[in-house]
Amino acid sequence: MNKSMRIMVVDDEMIVRESLFHWFEKSGHAVETAASGFEAIKKLEERPFDLLFVDIKMPKMGGMELLEKVKVEYPETDVVIITAYGSIESAVEAMKKGASDYLLKPFKPDQMNLVLEKITNQRKMATHYQYVKGVLEQMTRFDDIIGQARPMKEIFAMITEVAQSDASVLITGETGTGKELVAKAIHSKSARANGPFIAINCGALPENLLETELYGHQKGAFTGADRARKGFLEVASGGTLFLDEIGEISAKMQVDLLRVLEERKIVRIGDRNEVDVDFRLISSTCRNLEEAVERGDFREDFLYRIKVIKIHIPPLRERKEDIPLLVRHFLNKYSHQTTKQVDHVSKDALAMLSTYHWPGNVRELENAIERAVVLSKSRTLKADDFAFLQPGTGTHAKPQTLRERERNYIREILESQDWNVTQSAKILGINRVTLHKMINRYDLKRTR
Amino acid sequence: MLIVPIGRVPDVACKAVIPHIRTLFHLDADILPPLPEAHYAHDTVRDQYNAAHILHRLETRFERTPLKILGVVNVDLFIPVFTHVFGEAREGGQCALVSLYRLRDRLNQTRPSQDLILERTVKVALHELSHLFSITHCTHAGCIMHFSMNLKDLDDTPLEFCKYCDAFLKAAIHRFASAGSSGR
Repeated sequence: MNKSMRIMVVDDEMIVRESLFHWFEKSGHAVETAASGFEAIKKLEERPFDLLFVDIKMPKMGGMELLEKVKVEYPETDVVIITAYGSIESAVEAMKKGASDYLLKPFKPDQMNLVLEKITNQRKMATHYQYVKGVLEQMTRFDDIIGQARPMKEIFAMITEVAQSDASVLITGETGTGKELVAKAIHSKSARANGPFIAINCGALPENLLETELYGHQKGAFTGADRARKGFLEVASGGTLFLDEIGEISAKMQVDLLRVLEERKIVRIGDRNEVDVDFRLISSTCRNLEEAVERGDFREDFLYRIKVIKIHIPPLRERKEDIPLLVRHFLNKYSHQTTKQVDHVSKDALAMLSTYHWPGNVRELENAIERAVVLSKSRTLKADDFAFLQPGTGTHAKPQTLRERERNYIREILESQDWNVTQSAKILGINRVTLHKMINRYDLKRTR
Repeated sequence: MLIVPIGRVPDVACKAVIPHIRTLFHLDADILPPLPEAHYAHDTVRDQYNAAHILHRLETRFERTPLKILGVVNVDLFIPVFTHVFGEAREGGQCALVSLYRLRDRLNQTRPSQDLILERTVKVALHELSHLFSITHCTHAGCIMHFSMNLKDLDDTPLEFCKYCDAFLKAAIHRFASAGSSGR
């Protein structure tokens, strides 16, 4: 008669539980029972239910208290309150608190059926609403980039705009903010979308290896070069070359690349012939390259060449309104990947995640959700499941000494400034020498 | 299959069910001597009879019988939280119940004929017996497994299964019969 639902009957009287259990079973529903509100909460933590039939009068945790808890933690679960004839006031109160319906004991079997039909229809509407919401959510996504905060919307608009041109783009932002995703989005929306997207992490390769990777080599150019090989500058022709951590390349490499960008020609190592190249350059860095130019660590002419358009991605702590959206996205992703039925984050956990500082940004959030999903034993992620996050920044962190707080704060500032001591000292309001002393005193080391 | 009158039940009510069991279930059925009235299930507050208690008593009495049992009563049945039920059975259980009490109720001020009461009895009996073979309620209004909200619904329901419930029932009865012949 109705679409099969997952129903839980919560009543302290066994005979009522049994009766309703068999009744729902005969209609093809998946039914479970709970003898108390506590047992019901425990079962809800383990697996989802569509509908709860809850007796209002139960010892310890009454039906009304259970209703309130369910509506806060599992708002997608419908609750029907069963109450004794004559206590219509409590039924009305239950409806105000979010109950989907109520039944006055004893009720006719057809009344029960009407309630079931009504809830089935409501759930159908809710499913439709979820679908529409999903479509709207797609609109807050830009390729794989998720965000509805104003700076992210500006970035989405900018991506569309810059994709139309071939100008070089420099993407800046802290580690883990999604610079490569922005680069990919520009590529996929550009006229070069059918060409290759080649990403190279300049910081991960020693200079001579990076040179070989970029330019390629002729057979016999050096020991081990037993055959000719195209470099990425050549392979990226017709597409986009993404140079991650561009701030890490040497002065010589900056000069070489500047020449390539101006002449659009390269010469493979060990070769004399020039090869035409046609790629769009997108670079990224978490460093402040303007300051690096001022310090003489980075070539100004090269910076101007790679920074025709600059896109800055804000750190996650500056767009905290995106955290629930991201949490939901990663939860979906990892509960599907791990085939674990983890589909819920408790209010406390979400509050904790929203107040955490996220030095590793979206990547750290993604890793945190993945780890919590893998290790979770229930369907709901709680604040305790995120206890592994760095202490000192979450609301549930253990109390710390002043010394610990100082050490963590200095480390955070250094990480956020990519260990630029001058900049970090400026933010901390101390001079560079003092900061160096503190780094030594607290034995702080660069981790990434 | 065995049919057991409980208390004072007209013979004709039990006899009316047998040909339909043979036709629709392809099983044989016998009527046992009546059991005493189910006073043990009487709820003095509601002045009704608890169907769950009667079913439990039947299950205990016939626990060694490898057959499905249909109890027929002439008292007002209820299960906790519900005002009344026409019959009761548990999915995949051994015993089912049907009560004639509310099937005699008037509809549109018209007193039901004896034939109509028997037809209602047969419909409820076959519906509850099918639950014993794990057949759940059906969405098709033209099927005996469709949940009848009231007597009008019951009267509108034809005395037949839809093709799906019929197929499920045949398969379930086949499994039941095979289990019985293999030493059940």
